Order: sequence, then C-alpha cells, then structure tokens
Amino acid sequence: MHIAVNGSLCSGQGRCYMIAPELLECDDEGFVSIRGTSIEVPAGMERAAQSAANACPEDAISIED
Amino acid sequence: MSDESAQQRAEGVCPIIDIDYREPRPAFGHYASLNEVRELAPIVYNKTPFKGYWMVTRYDLVKEALQNPEVFSNKVVSALGDPDKHLYLIPQNLDGKAHVDVRHVINPWFSPGSIARLKPLARERAVAMIEELEPAGSCDLAVDFAMLYATEMFLAILGLPVDDGKMLLPLVETVFRGFFGGDPDEQSDAADEIKKYFEDVVSDRVDNPRDNTTDLVTFLLQSKMGDEPISEQDILTLCLTIMLAGLDTTRSALGFIFQHLATHEDDRQFLIDHPERIPDAIEEFLRLYPLVIQDGRYVAQDVDFHGCPMKRGDIVWLGLSQANHDPRKFDRPVEYDIDREFNKHMAFAVGAHRCLGSHFARMELTLVVEEWLKRIPHFRLATDEPLIERGGQLMLKSVPLTWEV
Repeated sequence: MHIAVNGSLCSGQGRCYMIAPELLECDDEGFVSIRGTSIEVPAGMERAAQSAANACPEDAISIED
Repeated sequence: MSDESAQQRAEGVCPIIDIDYREPRPAFGHYASLNEVRELAPIVYNKTPFKGYWMVTRYDLVKEALQNPEVFSNKVVSALGDPDKHLYLIPQNLDGKAHVDVRHVINPWFSPGSIARLKPLARERAVAMIEELEPAGSCDLAVDFAMLYATEMFLAILGLPVDDGKMLLPLVETVFRGFFGGDPDEQSDAADEIKKYFEDVVSDRVDNPRDNTTDLVTFLLQSKMGDEPISEQDILTLCLTIMLAGLDTTRSALGFIFQHLATHEDDRQFLIDHPERIPDAIEEFLRLYPLVIQDGRYVAQDVDFHGCPMKRGDIVWLGLSQANHDPRKFDRPVEYDIDREFNKHMAFAVGAHRCLGSHFARMELTLVVEEWLKRIPHFRLATDEPLIERGGQLMLKSVPLTWEV
C-alpha cells in the first residue's frame, strides 16, 4: 500500500499528521512532510493511512494498493 | 457590472432570496436559516444587503470554489461587507504568487512545531484565569474569560507581553463592535490607538531587534518576501490582520463550546472521564459550530458555475457553515458526534487560504477545555433565556455559567 499527497491540493490543514502521528509528520511550515510525494505504508499502518486520507478536507491524500 | 444585472441573470436560473445575515438572532438561528437555504438549491442569489451575492450552499461546490482561486479571487473575502470600502488585510486579500510568498514567510511561525513553544504559557494563563474565576461560582464565559484569554494569546503569538492584554481589551472590543453594527467613529478611534501600539512596537524593533525566534515583528523585519524585505507598513497590516482574524474567532469558539458543555451533561461527563478525547471533541465542535459562516470571493472572470452565469465583479458567498452541516457530506449533520470518522469540516476553510492560525486555535481550545474540566467539571447555564448570537461572524454575546463552590 502507498499513500500519496497531492502537492497542489495540500494546504497544511494538518489533520493527517494529527490523526496518524505514527505514520506522518509535519514540515517547518506545517505541511505534511510527504507533500507532493508518495511513500510505501509500513506493514501494520494501513488503518492509520486510511484514517489520514479520510480526514483531509482538501481530498489531497490518496491510497494506492 | 451593476447589482441589478447579477440579479437579472439569476432570475429563472436559481432561487432568489432576501435574507440579512448581519442581524443578531437567537442562538443557532443563523445555522437554521442557512441550512434551510442550502436545501433550496446548490446555488441561490441573495439580493440583500446593499450588494447582492451568489450563495454557494453545498459542501462539494463550496470546496470546488475555494480550490479555484483563478475564478474566485480573494480581492473580496466577505460577502457581507461593502466590497468597495473593506479593510485591506494581509494575507487574506492577496492572490497567487504574492499570497504564496507571504504564507511561505509566515507559515513557519504558526506551524505546530512553532506554536508548541507557546503551550506552557497558554496553559499557565488558562489555569490562572480559571482559578481566579472558580471561587465565585459563576461567570459570563464570553465576557469574563474568553475575550481576555484570546487577547492574551494573540499577544503571546506575536511575542508581546500578555500583560498588555488588559489595556488593549476595551479597544479591541470597540473595533469588533464597529464591524458588526457599532459606532464607526468610535471604531476608527480605537483602531487608531491599536495601530499606534503596533507602530510603536515596529519602530522599536527597527532600532532594537529582539530574538527573531520569539518576537514576530523582529522576525518579519529580518525576513524577505520573494527577494524583497517586508515593508514596515505591511508588517503593521499583518499584525492588525492577525488580531482581527484570530482574536474574535477564538473567543467566539470558546463561547459555543462552553454553551454546549453546559447544556449536554453526557458529552461533558465523557470528556471528564476521557480527557484524551478532548482534541476529537474540539474537531467536532469546530464542525458543528463554525463562526465564520462564509468566505466571500470576487468573481475574477466570467464563468458558468454549475448553471449560474457569473460575471467578473460579482460577489459570491461560500457557505462554510452550510457545508459543515450538509447531509450529503455528514451523517446526522446537526448532531454532535465525537466518533465521526470522515470529519472533513471547513471551519478553517479549504484551499490556499486555509486559516493560518488553525493549529494555534486548536491548541488553545483544547487546553482551555482540559484545564477547565479539571477545575470546574460541572456547570450549567445560569439563564433560561435563549442566548443571542451576533450576525455576520457568529458570537454568543453572553454565556452565563454557574457552578457549585
């Protein structure tokens, strides 16, 4: 599973890294650090990845199997 | 483009209403009316007040418009003001690269990492104010706590002494009264005094720079926007904007949260038993009780927006509270549900202009509820009269609470 953050949609709402701190963190400006990229979701964190996507008001996060 | 013309274009295309959302109503009256309007149509035309506006009422369309700044410009940010006479705000009124450049400079100041350093002070002041109120057994949360706390926290984020809060408070109150129906001359005098306070700070920091990690004005004086230094005038505007945007909203949020906790014993008891869930409760309060009920936008180019012929110069109302209560997006939307999984609310708007102070606001609201419930776990409203909410940008004018001592 991969989690991808659309760099042009992400506005730094911060809901993703608040809801899934074990998976995501913020950068110096308050954007999620993986903004504009995609990472592989470590085993066991699939649920956290989905919750992060479900909380994003910008719909900037997608989950790919 | 004249007003008549926008209204003429709306005729036969969408419902036309005539409702003034600047007037006070009984608590929750604005949400009730706005929720009814949303169910009329995805877009309606509101022909009042002096300049009519297209009202975008449903979640998906509000989001689409906020994420399309090419068409929906920040030249205007409220549908309720006079578009020709509004106060110029930075970064709100900036579009495109100019906006990105300012946010790039100032975002780090308001990032979660940066505001964490303010948490001890924010907690200490909350505790001190609550402990001062507790022995009396009653208070008006809106008047006796929320306004002073929000003022002090605004000073704290700028790195200014929180002790200045008591001096600034009456001036700030007068300025906000002016925005929502008060005497414009009084407002102007008070705004001048606040401006003078910041002018003194800016000129002092020009001569005597302070620590640029804790003093915002010093930080801004030493920052560059694009390749240019930031002008002292823009720094002044930024300070005033942060005050106008952050202070009234924070105090108003506290008012709505505490009226909810005072009137919903089960919800309050749950948070007393599960304080680790307070951040989730705050998120749900933000969705349920948004204070900024609309973001206004200026139509920058002619567009057919979902069947409505909008033209350059038209004003649109993007209904944030209507989106937050849209049953197409949220199950049982006007109920409080701390376990909501898909809580993609728009209390802080969406798009590039997402509220700069959102992380700070969440921290403040969370720790006030934490510290209050530890010290005054049980309280109720001290009146049976309906509470009154201000129009325009919502605020409960008075939230009288009482508790056993």
